Amino acid sequence: MPTRHRIALPLVLVLMVTLLSVSSYAIPAFSRQYGTSCSTCHVDFPKLNDFGKAFKDAGFKFPKDDETFIKVPPVMLGAPAQKDLWPHTIFPGTIPGLPPIGLRYNTFFQVAGNSRNNFNAQLPGDPTAPFIPRTDFQSGLFSIFMAGNFGSDIAFWVDDDISVGGGPDGGLGDGYLKFVNIGRFLKLPTDALSLRVGQFELDLPFSPARSWNLSGWDIYDQANVGVMNPAFKQQNVNNPFALSNAAQGVEFSGGHTYRGYHYSVAFVNQNTSGNVSAGNNVPPVVGYTSDSNFKDIYARFSYRFNLERDPASRNEIQAAGATGPRDHTYLNIGGLYFYGRSVQRFSDEASGNVLTAREPFYRVGADFSLNYRTFNLFGQYIYGHDHDLLQVPNTFVKGTPATFDGGFVEADYLALPWLMTIMRWDGVNSRADRINGIGSTPDDSIGSFVSPFHSTRNRFTPGVQFLVHANIKTSFEYQIRPQQVVYDPVTGNALTKPFRTNTAVAGLEFVY
Amino acid sequence: MKRNVLIAIVAVAALSLIASAGTISGKVSGVTGESVVYVDTIAGKTFPPPATHPLIDQKGLLFQPHITVVLAGTTVDFLNSDTVAHNVFWPSVGGNKKLTHNLGTWPKGEKRSFKFDNPGAAPLFCNVHPEMSGYVVVAPTPYFATTDKSGEYKIENVPDGSYTVTAWHEGAKNQSKPVTVSGDTKADFTLSK
Repeated sequence: MPTRHRIALPLVLVLMVTLLSVSSYAIPAFSRQYGTSCSTCHVDFPKLNDFGKAFKDAGFKFPKDDETFIKVPPVMLGAPAQKDLWPHTIFPGTIPGLPPIGLRYNTFFQVAGNSRNNFNAQLPGDPTAPFIPRTDFQSGLFSIFMAGNFGSDIAFWVDDDISVGGGPDGGLGDGYLKFVNIGRFLKLPTDALSLRVGQFELDLPFSPARSWNLSGWDIYDQANVGVMNPAFKQQNVNNPFALSNAAQGVEFSGGHTYRGYHYSVAFVNQNTSGNVSAGNNVPPVVGYTSDSNFKDIYARFSYRFNLERDPASRNEIQAAGATGPRDHTYLNIGGLYFYGRSVQRFSDEASGNVLTAREPFYRVGADFSLNYRTFNLFGQYIYGHDHDLLQVPNTFVKGTPATFDGGFVEADYLALPWLMTIMRWDGVNSRADRINGIGSTPDDSIGSFVSPFHSTRNRFTPGVQFLVHANIKTSFEYQIRPQQVVYDPVTGNALTKPFRTNTAVAGLEFVY
Repeated sequence: MKRNVLIAIVAVAALSLIASAGTISGKVSGVTGESVVYVDTIAGKTFPPPATHPLIDQKGLLFQPHITVVLAGTTVDFLNSDTVAHNVFWPSVGGNKKLTHNLGTWPKGEKRSFKFDNPGAAPLFCNVHPEMSGYVVVAPTPYFATTDKSGEYKIENVPDGSYTVTAWHEGAKNQSKPVTVSGDTKADFTLSK
């Protein structure tokens, strides 16, 4: 790959990821079913308030007396009395009375700073090199999503990006069934155990798929792909796993996200190659997504301390304020751990044998969220570590582990019910990032193509969001990126003075 | 003997009162749904509020009933029958924003009460469920009625005399007109939004 492409491509990818990777959802289907506004469950959609968290925990149902709130009666799949006849009849359930479909569309306008083409301009010209315009209108996502409850505490969710960036199918987001409170069969306390099966976003502290920001939190998108580069501290990790990826598998969870403890343990596929396999002798249903025998493991535990003075209010879903219900004042702290085994297969040139590199990796993190009335301060720290096996003739030798760390801190202030201001800092310090960008800087202690100092990616992002209606939102974000320098790939001399590539993004989205 | 005379006097007085009381009836058009028609303030006359408290229930994310008409001075009870937290507030009474009030939060099964002294319509809201709304229409006299589905109304037992009669409808401009009551009197209204 030409050096300038190697430099510019990640920048373009960063921009694309920034603009296009965030899938956020409010659920108009629930509004229709319950005859209630988005703000029943959302602060600034899709950010959930305490009631929305309880609604989700309960399997997309009102936590108590759900049937009394439904304005469109569900369709009975069998008389309720049929339950008494089971197992000699199909256990009756329900389907929503209205097709529980919601749609979402968003569009963006971006303005990039004067230094946006510094990398390309400073290097020998290539007519095929990416060009970043000053301004750009961008189509975002057109998504369909369905969610609800089939009765018997069985919840479902399917979302799919019908179109991304005005182009073709963006693919399935989440698609799962959740069997809520199955612990009752084991005489466990209420809500102590639920089971989710299908494709889903990992139970992260702050959902990238349901983020309310225009740009995603960088740390959740951090993969660990370090190229073989004999000229420098080479790595042989090719692990595309990022915490924001949708995972296929099963998840056990329990507790609540609006008070007390919450946990989840998931067993999910590992796919290092990015390919889906098939076999003539063992034909799969739709293809084998795993390219490893090992199932990755994700675990999360959190505890939320509701800090209301009134003990009765403290245990309610929403706190009882002097002028009405509101979100609790709370402190939520948690931790996450992911363990997987990245698998790469190589053909050894000397022997012709297939060499399999199994590179265990883990991600460990801690998070907090502090809420006071309409002010929410929260953050996430994650450390990632991949074993590095360097290929030598007919075997591997242990290399320098590929590590990264970083996170974000964000402060949201709901100044008015329809106006939220955001201050946010993202930082990621990745060894793989530095090595990938080695072509532009001779010294990784200085930095890579993205940043000359310490972090390979960091930015400060103030923003503001307006709810035009409860289902229409316009958002503004200004991304202040770190200082960068373009180096001559041969001499290592700086070709530019330090500069920043700041961008302003405006977004408009609606759900219906 | 004295007792019989007293009874006779009371009976005559009652009959004469009934004889001098009329009705105001008519139709409210231009709008659909329930409207309220009431006799406006009568100079020099006050009316004692009823001892019973009308109830407005918050149930199924709705104010039930949607419109409640009360005499000024009446205490209204607000009940939360839902398992979700609710709130009741009104930003004004009769358009007077100084009369805004927030009743706060209370759990299922409990009530809070408020005495509505000022005439006018108080739009009720819940600050966590913006789709919820209701109205307390505070009438200055006990002579009021709500319309049926066809917009017809009838106010009974109105003493003969000259009054101002006002029609109110959710989201429409109030309309008032002078009415002289003598027996059965007609007063139609055409409201617009």
